[in-house]
Amino acid sequence: MRDDRPDSSFFHRRLLLLGGLMGAMVLMLGAQLGRLTIAEGDARLDRAERALKRSTILPTHRGRILDRRGRVLAHDDPGYGVAVRYGVITGTWLDETARRRAASEAGRGAWAEMDEAQRREAAMRHRPELEAMRGRLYRALCEHGGIDEVELARRLALIMERVERTAEHVRERQREAVVARYGEEEAARVYRPEPIAEERAAHPVLERVDDDVAFSMRALELELPGMFEVTDARRRVNPWLQCTVRVDRRSLPSGLAAEAPLDVVLAGVADHVVGSMRRSYAEDVERRPLREDGPDRDLAGYRDGDLVGASGVECAYEAHLRGARGLVRRRVDSGETERVPAAPGGDLRVTLDVALQARVQAVLSPQVGLAVVQPFHQNALLPVGWPLRCAAVVLEIESGEVLALVSTPTRAEARVAEEAGTAPAWVHDAWINRPAEAIYPPGSIIKPLVLAAAVTEGALDLDQTIECTGHYFPDEPDHLRCWIYRPHYDFMTHGPLHAEDALARSCNIFFYTLGDRLGLARLTDWLRRFGLGAAPGLGLAVDMSGAPTGAARAGESGGFLMGSEEIARLGSGPQRSAAISLGIGQGPAVTWTAVQAANAYAALARGGVWRPATLVDSSASSIEGAAPSAPVDLALDRRGVRAALEGLRRAVRDGGTGHHFMNDAGAREEIFDVEGVTLWGKTGTAQAPPLRGADTNADGEIDADDEAIMGLDHAWFVGLVGPADTSLPMFAIAVIVEYAGSGGRVAGPVANQIVHALQDEGYLPVPAESPARTESPPPHEPAPPTTSPPAPEEPAG
Amino acid sequence: MSYSAQALRRQTLTASASVSTTARALHKRRVELRTPAWLAVAGALGLSVMGVAAIATTEPALATRQIAFLCVSLLAAAVVTLPHFRMLQRLSVPLMLAVLALLVFVMIPFVPEAIVRPRNGARRWISLGVTDFQPSELAKIAYIIALASYLRYRKNYRRFLGLLLPLALTFVPMALVLVEPDLGTALLFLPTLFAMLVAAGAKLRHLALIVVIGLASAPALYPILQTHQRNRIDALYYQIIGDDRHVQGIGLQGDKAMMLAGAGGLTGVGRAKSADLLHHNRLPEEQNDMVFAVVCCRWGALGALLQWGLHLAITAGGLLAAARTRDPFGRLVVVGAVAALFAQMAINTGMTLGLMPITGLTLPFVSAGGSSLLTAWLMIGVVLNVGMRPSQYLAPEPFDWTSRDAE
Repeated sequence: MRDDRPDSSFFHRRLLLLGGLMGAMVLMLGAQLGRLTIAEGDARLDRAERALKRSTILPTHRGRILDRRGRVLAHDDPGYGVAVRYGVITGTWLDETARRRAASEAGRGAWAEMDEAQRREAAMRHRPELEAMRGRLYRALCEHGGIDEVELARRLALIMERVERTAEHVRERQREAVVARYGEEEAARVYRPEPIAEERAAHPVLERVDDDVAFSMRALELELPGMFEVTDARRRVNPWLQCTVRVDRRSLPSGLAAEAPLDVVLAGVADHVVGSMRRSYAEDVERRPLREDGPDRDLAGYRDGDLVGASGVECAYEAHLRGARGLVRRRVDSGETERVPAAPGGDLRVTLDVALQARVQAVLSPQVGLAVVQPFHQNALLPVGWPLRCAAVVLEIESGEVLALVSTPTRAEARVAEEAGTAPAWVHDAWINRPAEAIYPPGSIIKPLVLAAAVTEGALDLDQTIECTGHYFPDEPDHLRCWIYRPHYDFMTHGPLHAEDALARSCNIFFYTLGDRLGLARLTDWLRRFGLGAAPGLGLAVDMSGAPTGAARAGESGGFLMGSEEIARLGSGPQRSAAISLGIGQGPAVTWTAVQAANAYAALARGGVWRPATLVDSSASSIEGAAPSAPVDLALDRRGVRAALEGLRRAVRDGGTGHHFMNDAGAREEIFDVEGVTLWGKTGTAQAPPLRGADTNADGEIDADDEAIMGLDHAWFVGLVGPADTSLPMFAIAVIVEYAGSGGRVAGPVANQIVHALQDEGYLPVPAESPARTESPPPHEPAPPTTSPPAPEEPAG
Repeated sequence: MSYSAQALRRQTLTASASVSTTARALHKRRVELRTPAWLAVAGALGLSVMGVAAIATTEPALATRQIAFLCVSLLAAAVVTLPHFRMLQRLSVPLMLAVLALLVFVMIPFVPEAIVRPRNGARRWISLGVTDFQPSELAKIAYIIALASYLRYRKNYRRFLGLLLPLALTFVPMALVLVEPDLGTALLFLPTLFAMLVAAGAKLRHLALIVVIGLASAPALYPILQTHQRNRIDALYYQIIGDDRHVQGIGLQGDKAMMLAGAGGLTGVGRAKSADLLHHNRLPEEQNDMVFAVVCCRWGALGALLQWGLHLAITAGGLLAAARTRDPFGRLVVVGAVAALFAQMAINTGMTLGLMPITGLTLPFVSAGGSSLLTAWLMIGVVLNVGMRPSQYLAPEPFDWTSRDAE
């Protein structure tokens, strides 16, 4: 009788070993199976189910940007386009679709059995129908687009040329990557060019078609699936990109004055403030990708080709303006449909009055002449006719709201000039929003702040005088001199001066003395309280690095103010020298922007109460970062503030530096001619760094052969203005004309025209008995005559 | 010669003839239907049914075709069980030579495409009109038979140098299959060899040394692999380190397989939903190499466990049948067959689950396709053949080595 039980022999033990090894392998596989199906099963099912969902992304509206009176500065203009698939244009779509149809017709098994020749033959039978479909599409494009076949062929050829050029470039990079991975020899064998994104995409053939055409084409899309798309082609439109302003020239300085008004055609009104749009970068998509699924769904995220705010408030308030797309999602298995409506972006109201902005921009336009070197400027270094870059600010004192923020040239003007190749020095750095971003030495316009600080600190008794001896140190007549102590004025001095007169006459010796008495630490501390050294918080600041540090921000600058550590490092001698210079706004310790200058003067006008200048309507509390900041009482001695304001008032009256200048003919010209208002103001002539970017050798190019022009000054005027019947100023004005020379003779007349503009826009009263100015219709009402229809900017996504 | 001597001689001859007749009769007549090999048959049948159902998930027409292949395969397996397995041993050399000739034949460049039709750059199939025949599938069986035949009465593989010849015998068909190229099938030869040597009694330390040397030298093979093979290894590496940048490129197939396998959860999503998921996610080779993902998606982890259980039943049935027989060839050929089937299953499911690089390897009994199914069932036929003929020898237990043997 045979024993059926296996013997426990060597062989059987080996079989057990093999069985054990196999069991162990199954356990290992089981562990991985458990991970995938149980631990990660839900997530993997969720991913797999995405393929069952058909999504249609709905477009959203970007919010409008409005000025303080509700006029639209930027808005989305809805529209449609028709884009044809690249494969349809090149014909590859015909081949692929014919093969697909042939394979479907033959069935999977039969298709697999066919050789290549049989497959090609089967596909060819479907070509005529597909070619007829393409012909139908092209006829519809011609009919709805109002173009003929030649024009259509030209557009298609342009698309192919562009895509082929891109593809060539991309494939070269692909090949280089393969070579880097496998080596040259292997790469030559294995490299297969892959289609680039543009070759899979649809390309616009008709742009800006109306709703009827879009509807018709959508209907055709159902009959010709996969051949073209009706796309959302909304654009961002800036209605104030071009406008015309009528300028009354009778109040201009004598060299420029004329009876006939001048219609100034402006380009890019407020374009630095509104900003521009750009296509999304990979970094945008990486930072916040559009997510259609999952708990972290984000329909406000970005996709390739989206429009993104690139500068100005378009950039700073991107999140508020952008809005979120909508979504319609249908499950192909259950037919269940989910709808998420699009959330339009929020409107953004800025504090600018765009009509006033346009008037101020017109004043600074080279066509008017105030911002071009004139003989009466007496600029010995720049030729007459040289266009000057400017910044101007008008700020409402009570609220701190900025009514006008002008930077010339505007970006649009610079683009035009660059394309024409004219005035290269003028357009240099035109992308900078000068009043908010460009920093300058203050020069004499800092003097009222120094005076108020000195009185508060007890460094000056207002009843006492300080004598101007022409130079600060008795035995150093060539060092730290008063501006009047020059051969041109026969080495005059101001003599003993009270504070108000010292400010009105801008005596340097007086303010050297105050700087010396206060010392660098105390003086910079007071300037810091006036807002120097910190961004004013206009709402233009953009975090450029992800780190909320001042240095990493753009859009607005806080200027420079020497810190306590740097002051301590200087040592007593240099500290004293810097403090004396700082008394007249020169030296290494300080620079500021025009906005900071206007806001510091507004703080004086409020009796020593500082508040941040704002550009975005603070009532829109839902806007992040736009919440109003509380005013800060600087605790200035009231007598000091009064003395400073009195000095500013005297400065624009007879005897003050802001009252008149002697023109090139030797005649006296008053700077201000506005009636019905009270003015306070201060001129400043600040030493400027060497002027680079000028074509000094006149070879038509700005290059290394050109020399920097030394010895130029920036021309400042900062003032306050209010109705004549009140002693309270209502508006602060700051003007700087770069490298222009004397503040009184260059920046003063500009400030005069800004006051006129405030009257023209109704911010200041016009006395009934004043000579009627040329009728100057507001740029917005009736619609300003434009040289061309408002040109659109970028299409919106 | 004396009478007594003549009588003695006659008696001796008669007795000898009687003993010989008895031995032959023992060989021929002892067909035992009660054999654990039926366990393997049951497992294979279960897997085949499961395979038809999995294929029917998305391609009912293909499932019908698979049923036809199954009928043919069952018939072929039944035919294989009829002759004594010793006949296979006698045919081992001509069979191996014929298979090697076919492997060379498919690579001859000027053979018309009507006979050898390249697919995706690979020359593996010979057209038989109604279906295609893949010589590399037959090579697996021929190799197992040839190796079992070679190892059955030897003991030189108990020495390290004695392992070199079996290795060399393995590399010949393996290399021919590799250049087709069919890396997946080629890789099956090594675990099959390993299992047969273990069963035959090769010293484990020698085998371990070879495995260590093989693993250590594997990276040196990377540069000579074809680009798509390197891509698959790269894709596995990226998947393991969590770098998902390649899931739309070289890692597409592996990622989709893992996603759909995981989507089944514990109990699966059912036929209709799994059909939708598979269709809309466009899993490549869903009926063939990736059919395990279909199993997991439709029946979940429980379905996968059932499938592994059926494979283990095949393994157990085969190993028990090998344990019962005393024929050295029978023992080795059964071990080789179950080892090849198990290794193929492990590699296929391992690559679907993201533990191994993707190779073009079917899941035995489950994947769609005639050659694969036929080969698997032929192996089951061999297992059943041996299982039904325990071959009680009047001889010592084969492979019953002691530590002194072949030292």
